[in-house]
Amino acid sequence: MRKLHLLVLGLALCLMSPSLASAEKVVKVGNILPLSGPSASVGQQGKQAREMAIEEINAAGGIKSLGGAKIEMLYADSKSDPNVGVTEAERFINSEKVNVLTGAWNSGVTYPSTAVAERYGIPYIVPVSVRDTITERGFKNVFRIAAKDSWWTRDQFAFLKDMSKEFNVSLSSVAFVYENGDWGTGFAAQWRELAKKAGLKIVLDEPYSSSATDLTPLVNKIRRARPDVLMLVSNAADAILLTNTLADYKVSPKVIIGSGGGHADPTFLSACGDNARYIFDIVEWEADVNRPGAKEANEKYKQRYGTNLTGEAVDAYVSMYVMADALERAGSLDPAAIRKALAETDLKSGPGMIATYDSVKFDESGQNENAALSVVQINDIGTGLERITVWPKGARRTGYTPVFPMPKK
Amino acid sequence: MDLVFFAQDCINGILMGLIYGLVALGLTLIFGVLKVINFAHGSFIMVGMFVAYWAVALSGLHPYLALLIIIPVMFVFGYMVQHLLIRPIFIAERNVREPITVIIVTTGLWYVLDNLALLIFGPDYRALHPNPLKGQMLEFGQIFISMPKLYGAMITVATAGALHLFLHRTRLGRAVRATSLDRDAASLMGINQWKIFNIAFGIGTAVAGISGAVLTPFYNVYPTVGIPFDIKSFIIVVLGGLGSIWGALVGGMIIGLIESIGPMFMPSTLTEVIVYGLFLLVLFVKPSGLFGQKLDW
Repeated sequence: MRKLHLLVLGLALCLMSPSLASAEKVVKVGNILPLSGPSASVGQQGKQAREMAIEEINAAGGIKSLGGAKIEMLYADSKSDPNVGVTEAERFINSEKVNVLTGAWNSGVTYPSTAVAERYGIPYIVPVSVRDTITERGFKNVFRIAAKDSWWTRDQFAFLKDMSKEFNVSLSSVAFVYENGDWGTGFAAQWRELAKKAGLKIVLDEPYSSSATDLTPLVNKIRRARPDVLMLVSNAADAILLTNTLADYKVSPKVIIGSGGGHADPTFLSACGDNARYIFDIVEWEADVNRPGAKEANEKYKQRYGTNLTGEAVDAYVSMYVMADALERAGSLDPAAIRKALAETDLKSGPGMIATYDSVKFDESGQNENAALSVVQINDIGTGLERITVWPKGARRTGYTPVFPMPKK
Repeated sequence: MDLVFFAQDCINGILMGLIYGLVALGLTLIFGVLKVINFAHGSFIMVGMFVAYWAVALSGLHPYLALLIIIPVMFVFGYMVQHLLIRPIFIAERNVREPITVIIVTTGLWYVLDNLALLIFGPDYRALHPNPLKGQMLEFGQIFISMPKLYGAMITVATAGALHLFLHRTRLGRAVRATSLDRDAASLMGINQWKIFNIAFGIGTAVAGISGAVLTPFYNVYPTVGIPFDIKSFIIVVLGGLGSIWGALVGGMIIGLIESIGPMFMPSTLTEVIVYGLFLLVLFVKPSGLFGQKLDW
């Protein structure tokens, strides 16, 4: 009998000792990302940016209000598959007992996996997934950092309005030219509404196929329509072909503005050369953003992973700091407390707040109401063609005066 | 004003159409002789574009002067593909008049070539450099003519003319035509069928190389660039008649004109409907195409 007692005591000691040794708390974060499959490259960017931020946060002493708790990151590969996303969310919550979830880049995965988190009342931070409806279901536990889909088009028009005022250039007509997939036609539908509100006359509304072998007929149509503003949604090959053909036919509207995608493709500048000059493009983030810490973060990221930070990576990076800030204020691992702290977020500065806009602040629906996009202009100011942030004015590269309108060709 | 734009679109349509014809020419040639539809044709165009790209990038030659490198390289490439890949199947299926397996092999070749290009060159979009033709335009008031397209159309006509002369005026050309008419009878007359097949395949591939040199001054080079041209080539060849050189040029011009003039009256995406509609119509009404042989031999 005594032997048994000793044995039990010994066993108990054995079991207890590891938990005694790691007395400090750990915050478990489950991350669902497309780490393989068609969106693997953006998924990897999201993971890298998270790792970099979490390392910084842990190295700076972790979450102080939780006794210096370290953040432990768990990753699940969604393979861009909504079903896998849902299963992994369930697993993270039930088996891994995570405190916070983040993910999932693909709107299609984020949409159902956030519903799982909502059901269990676990806070879910969405760095970037653009589908509007993700934060429009009355959920209490979903917080999105990046701008919604509809804000891209909204900001393109806001940019036009601001620039037209700043440079005293009147803009009265607009042409919409867009690839004929979901993305292009979705943008065009929003543009039509916005153009009506802005009092711009739509002189051309033309879808085209991204695999077209000749865009000359389209360019001639633009030439005939003589728009002040040419708005584009293009994939990579067609963005290049369109830009070169527009230059060949000397089509020079006052403003040409792209919607990311092909215009943001790394090969766009090299393949178009000077023909790309003065074109505007809307982006989430650009390496030259006028924001303390941005340049350093970009340098560090570039050194570690070999590329500049992308919009997606920045959203992921900022999200980690938003999460750490909320945990700090919550001072507890109770999901309700974390949720409350997240809802009260107003992250203006500090390490990690390198986004273009002034602060991260969530509205009722959990959408970061300040999330904004910026507009860059492609220009050569002595060091080769580059993308230079010009709008909003607060984020404009110091010393750069945008060329507005585009010079006549 | 409208008339000016109409003229503008017509000119572009004809020039671009002739270039489409050149792109389809290799396909029609190979079919004419081997009676095999080469599904890898788009990939041959892609290979031709990459050869043109590298020939210019490495030697700094004018893109058209680089044809001196491109044509032999592509000829040898096509010759070897036929000799090493397609001939064994022909021999294995000696008793089948139109061996389906060859079509499957060319489809496989298409995937292999496209993916090899992706592996070696990456998915990047490349623009020809140096490119003395970039942005060269002839301007007559409001009418703009793209110089690289004008030269391309001229090269097309010259290529078609040269092929015509070759097939009708030379001994080898006559042997090619004889093989295309009746390969067994030709063999009986002492023509080496396999050699003719190799040569015809080589010529078809060399023409794909010429179209690569014509396209690169105004079109991007990337591993899947062949696909849109492939589809177009098939439509053109069916329209003009499989195996007909001039049919390919006329078919190309028809497609070019529809694509160019159509958007004056409708969204440019709808012109594809007309093109495919015409394709079906030709298949129903005149399956041999505009200039195709009525007889099946």
